Amino acid sequence: MLLEQAFPAADRIEVEDRTGGGDHFQVTVESADFDGLSLIDQHRRVNEALAAPFADGSIHELRIKTKGTG
Amino acid sequence: MKPLNEQITEVISEEPVALFMKGTPQMVMCGNSMRALQALHAAGAPITTVDILPDPQIRQELSAISGWPTIPQVFVNGELLGGADITEELYESGELQRKLDDALGADRSQDVKVVALELS
Repeated sequence: MLLEQAFPAADRIEVEDRTGGGDHFQVTVESADFDGLSLIDQHRRVNEALAAPFADGSIHELRIKTKGTG
Repeated sequence: MKPLNEQITEVISEEPVALFMKGTPQMVMCGNSMRALQALHAAGAPITTVDILPDPQIRQELSAISGWPTIPQVFVNGELLGGADITEELYESGELQRKLDDALGADRSQDVKVVALELS
């Protein structure tokens, strides 16, 4: 899965299908990859990891929650 | 008429808090735009909104400028704060209010205004 590839060191990756329709997701990522990054850069990393499904429309809406390990 | 990207850059740099959203505060067309609007409002921000729906080019130009893929987008003093999730998270932690206090002062205006971009 894309998030696992992008954040191999993650302590926690959760994906919730918010509407059951398979295109509105809540993702939660806790990873040392985020240590020292601002919230906005953390979200950028998640958006980048999911750029392909965003571009082809398979993700319609994404809610992101990120956390470093610090 | 100025090119669209210049108009967008002007709003970002000149407005204390710019919210690019789907719809207007009177008629919000997306739940996430509503979340960002409500968080900013609750934090006592002056808010200048730009509706991105009238032309798909607005969104394209905006994302090219900001490097941020989704709508809404919030800028404070010309700097990208984030989308709905970040704005809400910062509001809930109290950091949004602190940022606004630092950037705009505690006795800031809380006016809401709408800017319409000129389309060719």
